[in-house]
Amino acid sequence: MSIGREQVEKVAKLAAIAVDDAELEPLVAQLSRIVDYVEQLNEVSTPEGTEGFHPGPETLPLREDVVRRFVPGNPLDAMAPEFEGGLFLVPVRGTMAEE
Amino acid sequence: MSRATPATVAAAATGTALAQADADGLNATLHWSQELLDQEAHRADTSQRSGGTGLKLYGMPVAVKDNIVTTEQPTTCASRMLEGYVSPYNATAVDRLRAAGALVACKTNLDEFAMGSSTEHSAFGRVKHPLDHARVPGGSSGGSAALVAAGVVPAALGSETGGSVRQPASFCGVVGLKPSYGRVSRYGLVAFGSSLDSIAIFAQSVGEAGKVLSAISGHDTRDSTSAAAPAMGRPDAWTDLSGIRIGVPKEYMPADLHPGVRAGVDRAVDALRELGAEVVEVSLPHTKYAVPTYYIIAPAEASANLARYDGVRYGKREVGPEGDVRALYQATRGSGFGAEVKRRILVGTYVLSAGYYDAHYVKAQRVRALIADDFRQVFDNGIDLLFTPTTPTPAFRAGEKTEDPVAMYLADVFVCPANLAGTPAMSLPIGRSEGLPIGGQFMAPYFRDSRMLSTAAVLEGLLDGTAEVR
Amino acid sequence: MTWETVIGLEVHMQLRTESKMFCACSTAFGDPPNTNVCPVCLGLPGALPATNARAIELATRAALALGCTVHERSVFARKNYFYPDLPKGYQISQFDRPLATDGALEFDSADRGRVSVHIQRLHVEEDAGKSLHERYPGRTAVDLNRAGVPLAEIVSGPDMRSPAEARAYLTVLRQILLYTGASDCSMEQGSLRVDANLSIRRAGDKQLGVKTEVKNMNSFANVERALEAERERQVVLLESGGPVRQVTLLFDAGSGAVRPTRSKEESHDYRYFPDPDLPPLVLEAEWIRRQRASLPEMPEVKRRRLEEEVGLSAYHANVVASEPPLAMYFEAVVGSGVDPRVAANWVTGDVMTAYNETGGFPVRAKRLAALIGLERDGVVSLQAAKRVFAELTREDADPRELAEALGLLQVRDEDALGGWVDEVIAAFPAEAARFRGGEAKLLGFFVGQVMKRSGGKADPKAIQPLIEARLG
Repeated sequence: MSIGREQVEKVAKLAAIAVDDAELEPLVAQLSRIVDYVEQLNEVSTPEGTEGFHPGPETLPLREDVVRRFVPGNPLDAMAPEFEGGLFLVPVRGTMAEE
Repeated sequence: MSRATPATVAAAATGTALAQADADGLNATLHWSQELLDQEAHRADTSQRSGGTGLKLYGMPVAVKDNIVTTEQPTTCASRMLEGYVSPYNATAVDRLRAAGALVACKTNLDEFAMGSSTEHSAFGRVKHPLDHARVPGGSSGGSAALVAAGVVPAALGSETGGSVRQPASFCGVVGLKPSYGRVSRYGLVAFGSSLDSIAIFAQSVGEAGKVLSAISGHDTRDSTSAAAPAMGRPDAWTDLSGIRIGVPKEYMPADLHPGVRAGVDRAVDALRELGAEVVEVSLPHTKYAVPTYYIIAPAEASANLARYDGVRYGKREVGPEGDVRALYQATRGSGFGAEVKRRILVGTYVLSAGYYDAHYVKAQRVRALIADDFRQVFDNGIDLLFTPTTPTPAFRAGEKTEDPVAMYLADVFVCPANLAGTPAMSLPIGRSEGLPIGGQFMAPYFRDSRMLSTAAVLEGLLDGTAEVR
Repeated sequence: MTWETVIGLEVHMQLRTESKMFCACSTAFGDPPNTNVCPVCLGLPGALPATNARAIELATRAALALGCTVHERSVFARKNYFYPDLPKGYQISQFDRPLATDGALEFDSADRGRVSVHIQRLHVEEDAGKSLHERYPGRTAVDLNRAGVPLAEIVSGPDMRSPAEARAYLTVLRQILLYTGASDCSMEQGSLRVDANLSIRRAGDKQLGVKTEVKNMNSFANVERALEAERERQVVLLESGGPVRQVTLLFDAGSGAVRPTRSKEESHDYRYFPDPDLPPLVLEAEWIRRQRASLPEMPEVKRRRLEEEVGLSAYHANVVASEPPLAMYFEAVVGSGVDPRVAANWVTGDVMTAYNETGGFPVRAKRLAALIGLERDGVVSLQAAKRVFAELTREDADPRELAEALGLLQVRDEDALGGWVDEVIAAFPAEAARFRGGEAKLLGFFVGQVMKRSGGKADPKAIQPLIEARLG
């Protein structure tokens, strides 16, 4: 297997996704399977300098510096889980568990 | 009660058909209401009267995949994460549909955040194949595909990242059109893989698909990847295909291709020749690397695109055991996303992380450039269009591929190259095998959407797309 | 044992635009929370960035003013991390292909004379929102008005050798940025923020020590204080045998101390990759050339010119060149044909006092030039001119008419002057006797008394011969 338990845990932390113990084992197997599969790209010889490929326009369009106020179809407090005094609220950051 | 108009008649009939589809258990819709259908008909009538005649899509009900934002109805992406979320703005494509007189009042089911090839990965239940409920309609735009196939709506919007419209169109026996990258604004399409994403169209005929594309295409300053070109005009109506050179890439006709699919493609190739086209074998040598390339780039982009679902400003919030904000993120994202979405975010995070970026992401981008170059070389060498099967097999059974993610990914082997290269591509019904639809795919040079549609329309006119081919 | 201090600075400046970097929301400071927001800067599903041309132009001008190479092709990238005030879960920034690289900035160091600091890079990015930690107990409150405001980050090499040099670098950098008009550079309003990296090593060592990052300084003076505190902390650590750990510290202006951030350091892996929503930024060489050609004279060049060519004192040249508005005002006054040295006296005196109080120029440059002319021609005394100036700050009027209305025109009529001289001599008989006895320095006393009696209107040059004639 190309990916171990520890690596999945590390990546899950980076992605801020809780993974419980029951999920972990199958995830390790599935991610390994996927990573093993995509590693067949190593057999392709690729020229350098083409990694910027994008099918869209070649240059960034720029817009004029003009202010336009957005009038929401629905108020912010209707969609926010916690909103008070015009502010989005979240629990304090707090100390992190051991990294 | 005001008098009936074509739009109000369509609204009423569509409501009846939607209710029937729901009653049949297709599970293709997520939100719709008769009230909104009626409102839409009224609005279309009003603008038809004030704007004179000629609204391109006047009175046409168009269902919309639920990852395209609308203000009147929720946009959930079939995820618990966005359950009940109502967007405060409309997608550009939705605004353009309405401006053309279409009735937008039905949001369709999908694989969560458009990640899947069978529409089994919806938090709100799987969508069933209209012809065989034990089978999948394909995905991720399975809800839109099923509604068009069942004749409930004449057209629907879906979205593609790696074939999510053409593949279900093929499975369900309808037309699926993925325009050139940048032809239709992505503003308001919930992002999955931004360099691959495209709003795409299901329709009951090639002509209808082209009509919808000409209504929703055209430059949009709110999408920096939108091509600086006007809307697509009406495709030319051709009577034959003389002078057209069509390439059939050998990599798309492997030995283990499903015999029904092969028979369908062979019959279609004969028809193309009969119509005057020259059909030759060509090669796109990097085809086999398209799926692995796709499964690095799409998850990498998705891992960033889906970071905004954090429980802070909108959507689901779950407070974690420690009660702090990091626990909130982890609990919200751990419980809000389904298994397939989590897998892809984790793969994407992995391939971008320190020490793996060059070996995976950069490598995949370079292979992607080779895949795009395959297309360019073929088209530069006098080939006008490519013709291939859309999928290696007809619609598979529900549950058949859910255990092995890679097996599921391989259902997209013929469709995802066009997303990687950004070229226009479409699927149309070319027959049936044991009652299940077979799709044929056209691919064209960048921005030759119109020529592709003209060609497909000629073939559509000759072939009986519902005939048993074997 | 002697320690050498090594400092590098990362400066974030807000680019002076009306709208945000990637959306049309206002950048106005101090509006009610979450009122300048839209789908793009809220990070709503489906929203996409659209790039502000003015921000690119301002960043380009700042980069050119710092002597950087502005690249014809640069790339926006996503910097991925989770934070409540970062709506998309990534910041749009630039990483391996920044807008500009390799500039230089010079300043005078007390220890090392003229010092040149390498500007490693200048890149464009969007700001995050603001987290308020004290508003609600147990809660962090998030205001996204700032989210998406355009910034340029300017990264120096580790080229400064003392906290005082860091401050001098910042002072010169601020002047240059003000001259280009790229930023307001207000630390109070957060349009200029400074993060500092500091390490120490034994004098003569080639290898750099372990560096720490110091944040949360709200003035240049506090940057210097914070870095002094951090240098001291590292010296104590190393001299007691302990290692310096790579940490981030916050400066507390109240105590003058630096403290490691309370929350545990997270392992940073930002997973930068090119933003697929934004094609490469391509600038034409000709456009870059035009931007360079249209840059105003930079403060150092101006200072030298004012001193060497215009003939101002070093002090006056420095003060006038320090702030672009002041320099522009000065040049407008001089443009009307008055003596630059006299104009510099006014500009660095009464004008600057008014400027510092009001932030503007209450007396128009051509009025001041006219007033200086009146004083030069002896129409009004210097004293009277200052009164006229004070009056002009309240009311825009012709200085001569104003002086006349105020009765401040100098009196040169010998009869009137003679009358005041006679009165003064009569009032101070003892002093008159001493003057006659040869105490010539009393002349000034008599001139002063006559001036006083005239209410400042007498022309002192005309009084002198009259006194000498009467007491000679």
